[in-house]
Amino acid sequence: MENKNFLQRTFTGRRGRRLKEYLTAYLFIAPATILIFIFGIFPVFFALYVSLHRWRIVRGDMIGLTNYVNAVGNLAYVVAFFLGIGALVGVYIVVKKIIKMKQEHHDQPWVTMLPAFLYAVMVFSFLNWFYRALPEVLDIAFKLRGLERHEIVFIDFLLDALRAETVLPAWRIFMLVLLASLVVGGLVLRLWRNRNNFKYQAYFSLGFLALGAGIGLLAFTLGEVNAAYSAALAEGTDPGIWPQVISISSGVILLAGGWLIWKQAEKQYSNGLFWLHLLGALVLLVGGWLLIGEIPTIIAAGDNKIWDGLKVTVFFSLGTVPFQLIISLFLSILLFQKLIGSNVFRIIYFIPYVTPSIASATVFQQMFSNRQTAPVNMFLRSLGLPPQQWLFEPRGIIRIIGDMVGFSVPQWAAGPSLALVVIMLHSIWTFVGYNTVIYLAGLGNIPKELNDAAEVDGASGWQVFRHVTFPLLSPTTYFLSLIGVIGTFKAFNTIWIFRSNLALGTTDTLSLVIFLEFFEKLRYGYASAMAFVLFGIILTLTLINNRVQGSRVFYG
Amino acid sequence: MVKQRKKKHSLSAMSRKNLITYLILFAGAFVSLIPFIWMISTSLMSLGEALGTAFFPSQLHFENYAEAWRRAQFSEYFINSILITLITLSGELTFSIFAAYAFARIEFPGRDLIFSIMLSTIMIPAMVLIIPNFLTVTWLGRIGPIPWINNWPALTIPFMGSIFSIFLLKQFFAQVPDELFDAAQIDGAGHLRFLFQVVLPLSKAPLMVILVLSFIGTWNSLAWPMLVTNTPDWRPISVGLMNFVDEAGQLVNLTMAGAFITIIPILIIYFFTQKQFTDSIARSGLKG
Repeated sequence: MENKNFLQRTFTGRRGRRLKEYLTAYLFIAPATILIFIFGIFPVFFALYVSLHRWRIVRGDMIGLTNYVNAVGNLAYVVAFFLGIGALVGVYIVVKKIIKMKQEHHDQPWVTMLPAFLYAVMVFSFLNWFYRALPEVLDIAFKLRGLERHEIVFIDFLLDALRAETVLPAWRIFMLVLLASLVVGGLVLRLWRNRNNFKYQAYFSLGFLALGAGIGLLAFTLGEVNAAYSAALAEGTDPGIWPQVISISSGVILLAGGWLIWKQAEKQYSNGLFWLHLLGALVLLVGGWLLIGEIPTIIAAGDNKIWDGLKVTVFFSLGTVPFQLIISLFLSILLFQKLIGSNVFRIIYFIPYVTPSIASATVFQQMFSNRQTAPVNMFLRSLGLPPQQWLFEPRGIIRIIGDMVGFSVPQWAAGPSLALVVIMLHSIWTFVGYNTVIYLAGLGNIPKELNDAAEVDGASGWQVFRHVTFPLLSPTTYFLSLIGVIGTFKAFNTIWIFRSNLALGTTDTLSLVIFLEFFEKLRYGYASAMAFVLFGIILTLTLINNRVQGSRVFYG
Repeated sequence: MVKQRKKKHSLSAMSRKNLITYLILFAGAFVSLIPFIWMISTSLMSLGEALGTAFFPSQLHFENYAEAWRRAQFSEYFINSILITLITLSGELTFSIFAAYAFARIEFPGRDLIFSIMLSTIMIPAMVLIIPNFLTVTWLGRIGPIPWINNWPALTIPFMGSIFSIFLLKQFFAQVPDELFDAAQIDGAGHLRFLFQVVLPLSKAPLMVILVLSFIGTWNSLAWPMLVTNTPDWRPISVGLMNFVDEAGQLVNLTMAGAFITIIPILIIYFFTQKQFTDSIARSGLKG
């Protein structure tokens, strides 16, 4: 035993075997995890950093929320303010959870607050170091310009960057806090023997983190608002941020309150029901009115491109996802009858999905060409309709149809431009096959007995579909609609190919707007801020979707 | 099954219903295929015919393909795309197999936390990532031993860590029965041997899906290659086709030939793997 060296000793015995198992696992996941971290997680923080700067190819000054204000107007302040408040609400939720746990187990967990506080401080001191070190490390690339490519040189420069006078103290503080938190955390784990010790530490650190983030964000926003006010005062104008914050907040609070009252009224079955409903509805109305009335003024200073891009994206989603779902549901039910050759149809329907969309978009571009002799225009002519400009047509489709029948449609009801309609058709064409295959699998999962039972009970084909098949397919429909909407927010390649200046930007979804800002105007900071606006919209949509649709999906 | 139904319905009603079903299915197939038919037909026309109203060529101009291949410099772009796809795929498959195996079959501290953090990156829109990643890649090229921009690392390495592939493989690896692992362990096999001799041979279907989907993804990527290549040296076929269409947009017969050339490799792969492919897509899709 004694002759064994350190390594052998570490990896023998039960504990040693477990340690070896852990090491194997970490080695296995290391390459993929590191890559996903560098190119999937770190960039989010990097993008946040870029978005707070004036950044055109090279980094300029730190300008706080200015990029966001340029993008969405004063709404940026309001959202930052709400995020801060949200973090404080998070603290409240965590504290409530801790108190509940404490009462259940009759614990006195207060001693775990100490390491938890240190953990939180550790995270913040790390972020502080990161924030200071990042620009120094980025600048190495410029310092290395014109020098030989040599490893040693880079490491020298890296060490120099990390030893810079703004960076080193931050690093020392981080190391100190890290050490202290490890020591204190270990001590508390040993001294207070409790099964839930670690859980309490984790919850308290979460609470402290949220507290720090909330206070930090609120202070930052306050500073930004004050700066905006003093800048406006110097110009002799009034930015009017505070009144907007107050009216938006009261709108949100009233909406939430009205909703709560309405819910409460649904629970009680007394005579007060009617009045409570009325009160709830009234509060909801006032809150909604406040919000709807205030939002246009608050975003007035923002960038119109964002709202145009958002409108196009919404058109694109509404014009593709429902049609895709209906067509593919219909086709899958036909295919599910297992007629001779249905497999061949399935293979054919799937081809558009696997075809490189750049190539298929090129083909669509020519089929929907504005030439008189292009296939689709020929088809229109055979129907006795005038040829169209298709991808070069910025006018809305409803307006074009209105013009054909001699009825002038107002601008707000013009609908998506004809150019966007072509893109929608291409998108539907591409994804129907994919949706059909998924629906087929969903149909295969429905127990046959259910359909048979319904048929025995005398239900007609439509009734079976309406009351048995369709509800049992709801998880599939939910999944496909989610994938579809996310897809329309992500869509880039085809729109880039289809895009024409003659369509006057009526085909540019928000993703396109951001890419153009970055790729053509080289405004990295501003484009990053826009990308975060898109991120916020997607997150909000997903949350709402989970709330509303998630509860209605029937998981059979 | 057909016999059962015949008992319920009269023969004529049944076949009439089938006829309508077939008509609709054929209409769907027609719409799915008409762009391809038109593309191939136009690619074989002379320019005059392609700009005219004919649907089928009067004479087959196969030389259009040679012309498009030459003018679009497809030979160069084709090799680029194949190289990029091979490098990306080999890295992605290796890394994903190991990571998925560890996540599915080994217990270790932080497993669920790390996996859920990685899974949450699916939510992040590409436009948030593209700017910082471009800066990172530029930086890495400046400090490292080889340049990244206009070179293979920028086009391949960022795509080697794919949470989608890890997720898909993890689902399949987790279904391998524990008894197999116990038996392998008694025979003295460790994780590596178990992975390569038992788990991987059982997971051909998901591997095929990752292979085809990554192939399509790499073959089809546009925004990122546009950013990180500004010379034809490593430019993939997607950018090549786009540039060719920009230059030769009026020569419809040539652009259609170019589009078909780009599609051919994907179609070949799809027809060879379509059975496993659609099955796995359906299965993975349902699990969401």
